[in-house]
Amino acid sequence: MSAPAASSATQVPARGRTAGRGATFARVVASEWTKLTSLRSSFLLAAATVAVSWALTYVSANASSVDPGFDPLSSLTSGLVLSPLGLMILGVLVGTGEFSTGTFRSTFTAVPRRLPVLAAQVVVTAAFALVVALLAVGAAVLGIVPAAGSREINLDLTGDGTPLVLAGMTLYLAGMALFGLAVGALLRHSARAVVTAVTVTLVLPIVLMLASDLSTDPMAPAESGPPPAEAVVNTIVTLLPSGAGSLMTTPDISGIEGAPDLGPWGGGAVLGAWILVPLAGAAVRLRARDVT
Amino acid sequence: MIEVESLTKRYGTVRAVDELSFTAHSGAVTGFLGPNGAGKSTTMRVVVGLERPTSGTATVDGRRYADLAAPLHAVGVMLDARSVHPGRTAFRHLLAQARTHGISRKRVDEVIGMTGLESVAGRRAGTFSLGMGQRLGIAGALLGDPGTLILDEPVNGLDPDGVLWVRRLVRELADEGRTVLLSSHLMHELALCADRVVIIGKGRLLADAPVQEIIDRSTGAASLEDAYLQLTADSVQYRGRSADDSATTPTAGSTR
Amino acid sequence: MTVAAPTRPGVTFSRVLAAEWTKLLSVRSTLWTVVGTILAAASLAFALGMFVRPDSGQSGSSLIVSGYLLAQLGTLVLGVMVGTGEYSVGTFRVTFTAVPRRLPVLLAQALITAVVALATAVGALLASFLVTVGQRGAGGLTVDLTDGATVRVLVDYVCFLVGVAVVGLGIGALLRRPTAALVTGVLVLVVFDHLLAVNPGRVTDTVRALLPGSGARLTMDDATLTALDATTLGPQLGPWGGGVVLGLWAVGLLIAAGYRLRRHDLA
Repeated sequence: MSAPAASSATQVPARGRTAGRGATFARVVASEWTKLTSLRSSFLLAAATVAVSWALTYVSANASSVDPGFDPLSSLTSGLVLSPLGLMILGVLVGTGEFSTGTFRSTFTAVPRRLPVLAAQVVVTAAFALVVALLAVGAAVLGIVPAAGSREINLDLTGDGTPLVLAGMTLYLAGMALFGLAVGALLRHSARAVVTAVTVTLVLPIVLMLASDLSTDPMAPAESGPPPAEAVVNTIVTLLPSGAGSLMTTPDISGIEGAPDLGPWGGGAVLGAWILVPLAGAAVRLRARDVT
Repeated sequence: MIEVESLTKRYGTVRAVDELSFTAHSGAVTGFLGPNGAGKSTTMRVVVGLERPTSGTATVDGRRYADLAAPLHAVGVMLDARSVHPGRTAFRHLLAQARTHGISRKRVDEVIGMTGLESVAGRRAGTFSLGMGQRLGIAGALLGDPGTLILDEPVNGLDPDGVLWVRRLVRELADEGRTVLLSSHLMHELALCADRVVIIGKGRLLADAPVQEIIDRSTGAASLEDAYLQLTADSVQYRGRSADDSATTPTAGSTR
Repeated sequence: MTVAAPTRPGVTFSRVLAAEWTKLLSVRSTLWTVVGTILAAASLAFALGMFVRPDSGQSGSSLIVSGYLLAQLGTLVLGVMVGTGEYSVGTFRVTFTAVPRRLPVLLAQALITAVVALATAVGALLASFLVTVGQRGAGGLTVDLTDGATVRVLVDYVCFLVGVAVVGLGIGALLRRPTAALVTGVLVLVVFDHLLAVNPGRVTDTVRALLPGSGARLTMDDATLTALDATTLGPQLGPWGGGVVLGLWAVGLLIAAGYRLRRHDLA
């Protein structure tokens, strides 16, 4: 390009070079953030998460507010049976979005080292999910207010381990988004990834509990500890992402019958493993294989 | 014969097709032209019954597409070459289509031969290149040996050999007395194979005449492309700029 | 060009059926789903069989059908795959230009899904029967195939799995997106019921009885059903009521999907 007399500047910038250095990690993060926030489904799922968190907590607190020893704070976590689902699906969609829509071609030609994209997706999903989780926990708190008011109980969120519960809830919710992301990035196929993630977190615990009910005789006298089937089932359920996550929200309960007592930190570690293992698999797959 | 009469298709407040009327006659290749977003694909989808007109009619041989007893024998359609399950082989894809009309396996093999897909017929369509997908789409349109063909961008992604093949194929089909409606953005290609062109912009009819007449009517146009650009100048909705536009005026033309 | 002179040109329902059959059998995911469903059902039945105690009073048939908990997910996935398949990959353009009346396609899909689900369910039943032979012998659980109640449970197990597949097809054809349809299906079939079970009451028990998961009652023996009906505050459905609820869901969803298909543009 021979511009006729570059009078305005001493050097003519090369074509297309706006600011050099190419795809830095910060830029990849910015790019992933744009992708996440430009999809309507992200906000729909976020709104659904907050709404479900409020609604389930409100209904549950109201239902138990007639009990004699009602403690509104014990209803705080009742939304968690369903509320992690939304963020988990959000994570899955971030993880599979590139592959299910074919945008991975433009993404990985822009960032040929590939792994920064996965890392940026983790950062972006964690940030977005953390904000949504905080809102969802706030919604859960709002959900118990009417029930507490009806019994004229003063809500004290600062004492008795409640801050730990609230923090655990937030981290559990955000962790489930990362779990979804990890499964999505590993499987690359949104329907498959959603089925897998939903089965592992939601369906398997229910199925296992129903199954142990089938094989245990409620009339049998409780001799020493729970029956073997129940102990096995409880251990498996505790080690699933949802079981481990709920340990994070119940610091003062020493696990369920027959299952190892991991405590909130142990639960967090198990959930962390559920995130890191598939994520590592996804990284290997991304790095070592062709993307087509 | 395809007849479109005062066809209007609205999506919410957007008029994708606006009072459009034209006829594609049998025994002729009718080129269907217009800028991106002009309403070509919408019109074609309405003609084949995938979408319902807001008002007006579209008929094939005087009947609504949805009323045809054997649509594949009346109209061969290729709207989007990507309309294939990536996990299904080309042969099974065509066979499933054929079975809806009781068309024989022999005919499936025949159209695979006609489109040059013999060597890949057993391969899963997900592994196909754009051009191979395009050939598969054309094979599907030919299955029922139809009297009318509607092809949306049939040469898109084809190699020069394939482009020549499509040109000859549509010519032959028209010479056998069939109706061919084909959309394309390749003006030189259309000038070579179309008898008549219908040009639309923003959903409205801009021109409907034989190729030579369209060129002659435009002032100073030497080719179909010139005439097309003149006709659609006011209807282009998406216009790119040259990479140097930000620095120089569009008329500069001295960037080398 | 030669005309491949067909006997009688045109679209007939049996031809649409043949076309849908070709489509379903020509993608590998169908086979995987069928095999996966059978394996999951048999494995779960076997796993539960390990905890059988001789004095439990459990019936042999209830052990065989206990794999339904996972098998229902398999046939749900099968139905959703058929229902959304056309839309997730764009083949609906090809399909519905060949069959512009559209509804025959949905009907054919329902029939074919039911047939494949039937074969899957029978396979799951046989596999579960075989893998639990030893356990049933050791636990003293008998399966008497001349006993009407036993046969009812085994046959209804198959009916339940077929019903779930058609519900999956209906949800898939209605929502047209595999992810949304699968999540909805799992929620409606399994999760909501479990959530509502936490708060028993007249309202929640009634809602639970009216969810499609109510069809799981088909897989329960008479003693279990009597025990369930004794504790519920909602309607008492008996052995067939759950099946009727599931059937109504299947039909209702197909009608809704048919309405959407018939009345709206396919773009």
